[in-house]
Amino acid sequence: MKDKRRHGNAALRAATLGLLGAAVVPAPASALETPGEQLAKKWEFDTGLLVYSESGGRVQAAEPVLKATRNFGDDRMLSFKLVLDTLTGASPNGATPASTPQTFTGPSGSGSYRANAGEMPLDDSFKDTRVSLSADYLFPVGENGKFGYGLTASKEFDFLSAGANARYSHDFNQGNTTLSAGLSYEADEISAVGGAPVPLALMPAAVSGEVENENEDEDEGGGPGAETKGVVDVIVGLTQVLDPNSLVQFNYSLSTSSGYHTDPYKVLSVVGADGEPLRYVYESRPDARTKHAVFARYKRYLFARDVFDLSYRYMTDDWKVQSSTIDSLYRWNFNSTNYVEPHLRWYQQSAADFYHAALYDGEETRVTEASADPRLGAFSGYTVGLKYGHTMQSGNSWSARLEYYQQTGKREGVPEEAAAGLSKFKLEPDLSAVMFTVGYRFKW
Amino acid sequence: MDAAAGRFTAMASPCEVLVDGADAAELRRVTRVVENEVRRIEQLWSRYRPDNVVHKINTAGGRAVTVDDETAQFLDYAAHLHEWSNGLFDVTSGVLRRAWKFDGSDRVPAQSQVDALLPLVGWGHVSWQSPVLKMPMGMEIDFGGIGKEYAVDRACALARHATSRPVLVNCGGDLACTGPRADGEPWQVGIDTGVPGAATPLVRLSQGGVATSGDANRFLLKDGVRYPHVLDPRNGWPVTGGPRAITVAAQTCTEAGVLSTVALLHGAGAEAFLEDNDADFSLTW
Repeated sequence: MKDKRRHGNAALRAATLGLLGAAVVPAPASALETPGEQLAKKWEFDTGLLVYSESGGRVQAAEPVLKATRNFGDDRMLSFKLVLDTLTGASPNGATPASTPQTFTGPSGSGSYRANAGEMPLDDSFKDTRVSLSADYLFPVGENGKFGYGLTASKEFDFLSAGANARYSHDFNQGNTTLSAGLSYEADEISAVGGAPVPLALMPAAVSGEVENENEDEDEGGGPGAETKGVVDVIVGLTQVLDPNSLVQFNYSLSTSSGYHTDPYKVLSVVGADGEPLRYVYESRPDARTKHAVFARYKRYLFARDVFDLSYRYMTDDWKVQSSTIDSLYRWNFNSTNYVEPHLRWYQQSAADFYHAALYDGEETRVTEASADPRLGAFSGYTVGLKYGHTMQSGNSWSARLEYYQQTGKREGVPEEAAAGLSKFKLEPDLSAVMFTVGYRFKW
Repeated sequence: MDAAAGRFTAMASPCEVLVDGADAAELRRVTRVVENEVRRIEQLWSRYRPDNVVHKINTAGGRAVTVDDETAQFLDYAAHLHEWSNGLFDVTSGVLRRAWKFDGSDRVPAQSQVDALLPLVGWGHVSWQSPVLKMPMGMEIDFGGIGKEYAVDRACALARHATSRPVLVNCGGDLACTGPRADGEPWQVGIDTGVPGAATPLVRLSQGGVATSGDANRFLLKDGVRYPHVLDPRNGWPVTGGPRAITVAAQTCTEAGVLSTVALLHGAGAEAFLEDNDADFSLTW
C-alpha cells in the first residue's frame, strides 16, 4: 500500500458512516500497516490485586499478581507470572477451647500467644510473604497438536517449592474434540521454624499455668533440618463441542505425594473426661497421599450474547477425604463493552480418617496419625460473588469482583470419653471471608 | 494466515471468518453470526431472488414502491454516491448487462444495442423520496456494486459484539476486521486480484476494511482491447486503459469498495482520483 497516513475523503466517509452506523467503526487510525511499521504492542499484561479478609481478625491477605503474555501468533505463546502474597492474622492451631485462658508458645519457642476462656485458640504469630514465579511456553505440534511446558518456583519464609510441568492436547474431528494429557512434578522443602517437631510429641507449653510438664527435652525432637515432599500430578481430559453454542469437558486427575505432609505448627488438645485440656501434642499426618478427582463442565453460549458455565468436581483420597464442588458462572454481556458476572459455588468435604477434634487422655500414645486442622475436618461452604468488567476504547480492560465465602464446620472426631465435657465448646470454627479483586489488562 | 477459519459461500464468493485465539466452538459461533448476516443481506438485495425488495422494485413497472428502512438508508447512500462521483456510481447501471456479457469472449455489442439501453440508465431518472421509490418502467436497480462490502461491514460489526477476540471477515477479497490481532500485529491478507501473473498485494490490516475492484475474470477481449466489466453508466461502455485491479483500504469495507469501484471507472485516471481522495491503495496493471 502506498501510504499509511491517509485519511480519505471526508464526505464519503461521513456518508458511509451514516449508512453503517458508528458501531461499525473503531477509533480512527491508519488502516494499513507496512512490515516496517508493525505495532509495537507485543505483550499483554494482566495485573490484579486480591484482598482476602477473614472475619474475626483471622487471616488477612493481599495478593498482587502480574502476568505477562507474549503471543507470537501461530498459537505460540510465552507467559510469565509473578505473585506476591502477604499474609497476616490468626488461624486456629488445632487446640480446643478451654474454660480457662490458654497460653501457647510460638513456633520458635520465643514468642507466645493466648486464648481467652471459651475461645478457639488462634495462632496469631504467623506473618508470611510468599513470592511465586512461573514461566510457561505453548506451541503447536503438527496440524492439530499443542504442547506446553512450564516451570514454577515459590518461596516463603519457611517453605521452598520448585516444579515443572508438561502438557499436550490434540484436536480431532475438525477441532470439535480435544484430548489432553498433562504431567507435573513439584518438590517442596519445609523448614519449620525451630525445626519440625516430633509427631504427637508434647508441645512445650503450660496449660493455664497449672500443669508443669518437664518438656524442655522435648524440644530436641525437632531439628533444624528441612523436611521434603514430592508431588506428582497426572491429568487427562476430553473436551467435546456439542454444537456451535455449547461444549462439555471431562477431566480425571491423579495426584500422588510423598514426604512431609504435617503442618509443623498445628497441635491437638489432649483432654480429660471434663473436656479440659491436659496437654497439647503436635499433629502427625501420613507421609503419603493419593488423590483422585473427576471434573465435568458444561459451557453454553446463550442469546448470542451471554455465557453460562456449570461445573462439578468430585475428589476422593486415601486419607478418606471426599469432596464435591459445584461451581456456576453466568456472564451477562449486557453490551459490547460491559459485562456482569454472578458467581455461585458450593463445596462440601468429609473429614480425614485421622481427624480428631481432640484426643482423650492417653490416646496420643495409641494413635500414629492425628490432626485437628479444621481444613481436614468435615465442613461445607458456599461462595457468592459478582464481577463487573469493562473494555475501554483502547482495547484495555478492567474488572472488579467482590465475593463472600461462608464455611460451616461439622462436629466430628470428638473422643467419646470426653464428648460430654467438650459439649460446652464450639469445636469447629466457622469461617467467613470477603474477597475483593481488581484487575487491569493492557497491551504494551 | 494461520488461524483456523470458519468458511461458507455467499454472494457468489467464498467467505471466511477468522477469530484470533478462538477454540472450535467459538469460531463456529462467530462464523454463524457472520454467515447469518451476510445471507440476510444477500436475501434482501439479491437480484436473483423473486421474493425480495429488489425484485419488487425491478418489477414495479413504473409504480411507486415503499421500501424497508435498511434499503431506504442504502438508497440514500446510493443517491449521495451518485452525486459525489459525478454520476459514475449508479445503482441503475445494471441494465447495461443486457448488452454486455462479460464472458471472456469478443462479443462487444454494437453501439445501437448500447444506445437502446441508455435511457433506462441513470439515477437522475429516479424519483426517490425515502421510503418511496419510483422508477420509469424498464429501469432496474442493482446493489451488487457495494452490497457485498456493506454485508462484510455489517457482519464484522455483529462479530465484534459476539466475541471479545479479534475477528476478520473476508468475502471474496472484500474484508473487514474488528481490530489488530490478539498479539497486536496486523492481519496479513494476500489479495487475489484475479489478474494472472500479477503480484498479489499483501495487505496488513489493523483496522477497518479493504476492497478490491477489477476486471478479474469478467471481461471482453476484442482487437487487443480488454473491456472490463465496470461500465460507465454515462455512455454505457466499459472503461478501458485503467488498472486491472484496484485494492483500497479504508475505515470501512464499504468505503473502500466505493473508492475502488469509482476509481476503476476513472480508467487511466484511477490513480489521480485515488490520490485526490487521499486514499490508501494498491494498483495492479
